[in-house]
Amino acid sequence: MSGGGRCPDCGSAELVEDSHYSQNQLVCSDCGCVVTEGVLTTTFSDEGNLREVTYSRSTGENEQVSRSQQRGLRRVRDLCRVLQLPPTFEDTAVAYYQQAHQLAGIRTARLQKKEVLAGCCVLITCRQRNWPLTMGTICTLLYADLDVFSGTYMQIVKLLGLDVPSLCLVDLVKTYCSSFKLFEASPSVPAKYVEDKEKMLSRTLQLVELADETWLVTGRHPLPVITAATFLAWQSLRPSDRLTCSLARFCKLANVDLPYPASSRLQELLAVLLRMAEQLPWLQVLKLDKRSVVKHIGDLLQHRHMLVRKAFRDGTAEMDGQGQGQGLGDGDVGSSSLELPAGKRPASPALLLPPCMLKPPKRVCPIPPVSTVTGDEDISDSEIEQYLRTPQEIRDFQKAQAARQAAQSVPNPT
Amino acid sequence: FSPFPTSQLPTVSPPPMEETYLELYLDQCSAQDAPTPPRSPLLSPSVPYDVDMLTSSNPETAFNPQLEEVTETSGSFSAVDLSFLPDELSQENKDQAVIRSKHEIEENCKTQSQQTTLPLPSQLDTGLALNSSSGSSSHSHLHPADGNSAQPSPEKPHSLPLASITPMTPMAPISECSGIVPQLQNIVSTVNLACKLDLKKIALHAKNAEYNPKRFAAVIMRIREPRTTALIFSSGKMVCTGAKSEEQSRLAARKYARVVQKLGFPARFLDFTIQNMVASCDVRFPISLEGLVLTHQQFSSYEPELFPGLIYRMVKPRIVLLIFVSGKVVLTGAKKRSDIYEAFENIYPILKGFKKA
Repeated sequence: MSGGGRCPDCGSAELVEDSHYSQNQLVCSDCGCVVTEGVLTTTFSDEGNLREVTYSRSTGENEQVSRSQQRGLRRVRDLCRVLQLPPTFEDTAVAYYQQAHQLAGIRTARLQKKEVLAGCCVLITCRQRNWPLTMGTICTLLYADLDVFSGTYMQIVKLLGLDVPSLCLVDLVKTYCSSFKLFEASPSVPAKYVEDKEKMLSRTLQLVELADETWLVTGRHPLPVITAATFLAWQSLRPSDRLTCSLARFCKLANVDLPYPASSRLQELLAVLLRMAEQLPWLQVLKLDKRSVVKHIGDLLQHRHMLVRKAFRDGTAEMDGQGQGQGLGDGDVGSSSLELPAGKRPASPALLLPPCMLKPPKRVCPIPPVSTVTGDEDISDSEIEQYLRTPQEIRDFQKAQAARQAAQSVPNPT
Repeated sequence: FSPFPTSQLPTVSPPPMEETYLELYLDQCSAQDAPTPPRSPLLSPSVPYDVDMLTSSNPETAFNPQLEEVTETSGSFSAVDLSFLPDELSQENKDQAVIRSKHEIEENCKTQSQQTTLPLPSQLDTGLALNSSSGSSSHSHLHPADGNSAQPSPEKPHSLPLASITPMTPMAPISECSGIVPQLQNIVSTVNLACKLDLKKIALHAKNAEYNPKRFAAVIMRIREPRTTALIFSSGKMVCTGAKSEEQSRLAARKYARVVQKLGFPARFLDFTIQNMVASCDVRFPISLEGLVLTHQQFSSYEPELFPGLIYRMVKPRIVLLIFVSGKVVLTGAKKRSDIYEAFENIYPILKGFKKA
């Protein structure tokens, strides 16, 4: 493989990479002139021969640094370049990686962990500068499992004592929405599905804010909420043509992966919007359902603050005043009033609680009876003997074990 | 319940009702001993708006380390001088001192509300939206942090002077301020049987034992009452898990030792220690985890991409709490039951401050 240079002696373009004493050399195959030699040192002529030698690969810097650390640092730099991060991020991430490498636990860790560590350093840098990078993206780039990544990430944050701020939702919405390929017509995207980026972005932001206010975001992965919000925003901007498109198809069109929880987030968001719609007088008469409410999302978002306040009463105040069962009972009354005929008074407010608190508990945990065990009671012999085998049982057990061993050692005829 | 609204403070002196509550609170403080002020997680970061936090241990001694820092924060609070609160106050000094500070704070807040824009604190507080553009206390993390590229210093409490002096709710005695008792779910204990054991023999002679040396180098034994599991190692050490109380754990460990004795080994019962206790409880109101991680950054870790709960590492007592949005709290890492109770009493006022309004 030639590097596109020419031999300084004979001017031939036939430059070959060759290893001599395990040192990489670029040699002219015509006259045998060694064009560049080694990666640990460079000379002016090396650089002149169009062999780009970065400072981090040149003399001196690498003498103190172990090979695995060099590899890791290179990985960190590559990641920053692939993600097109601003140049200052690279320096910070490299500094974190070097810091991490000082720790004994990291230096002796497996290669897989060190690889993942490079990703962790990049992620921490991005989080601290409010660059919306999700862990999913980094894991995809590293070809790593999320659990391996999470273990290393939590460990390194704790060991280095870093303060890592939360993912900035607004920036994430902007970046994620911009990645949807719906802003220009193409063979896969018919004209009626194309949407203006700014309108979609602003509406998605409003929907995400609404989800945040109504407890749909806390404790959940942020991305599926944004997917659901983008879908609703897109649908509501031209409902007549787009109501027929499903969430899965939408993501396929937009060339974006559909995260699994997105459909359940969508249902939750629609339920919230329906509750809000009950408070708008001109929508009460329409008896909206989950499909028809999409047409009115614009109106609902315009008055969202007032509607949320009216549609939901404070779940936390309810908890204080009454028992939880009673409070939920009122909430059920509120929901059943959806069936009230048009013209009646608006539905009584539902409880504003996270969905996990609105669902009935899967199983009621009984309060264990107060135990009067002191720990020093007498232990009867009979109680212990119930756990011991009789001699006959022991013999039987040994026979059975031997038979099993024999059966296992005989190879299966089929 | 709404967060302490800075722009709507009462402009009259506190009504007589509040005076009695003040006295109640001050009685409380004077009655308490004052050991070395703990670096309670309550007071170091920015404090929520509910004054119930004061019902936790050592409120006034813990104030002091914070007060100096308070006076150095953003300029709008610089006029509030709280250094008058010494460790020990005589009754009438306290009354005067606290009332005086209340007036000061009220004046301060009146001047504040006249300002159109206040410098946004470097850490955005949920609910304390001084600009109050939206009526609802939306999560501040939705608004991009202003130039918050460096790690924000945790010692920048904003609402501490406002919320801390004026008790807004009647003080209950400290021992029953939350009324919720965490239930112990699991106890892990170890004991030394002080003799070498033949695991194969134990697995052969005991019905309730399983032993798979290729998978794990210990016998796994179970008993029905108390319902527990034990790992018995060939060195004679044993781990007992699954009990719901310390006494049950001890009884269970003794039963396992008896079983080993009956199998012919000279087992003893040395160094029984509780290694870990896990408890859980329910505060019964939803908790804003984003807000909690913003104000208690140095103790909390909230990564919704990884785990739905917030991991709160309390320093004193050294307990790890898993806090979920539904209000359920899991406490673990305790060696004593009192640690669990203390940790919960510490966290309860913090959580109440994050009930979204």
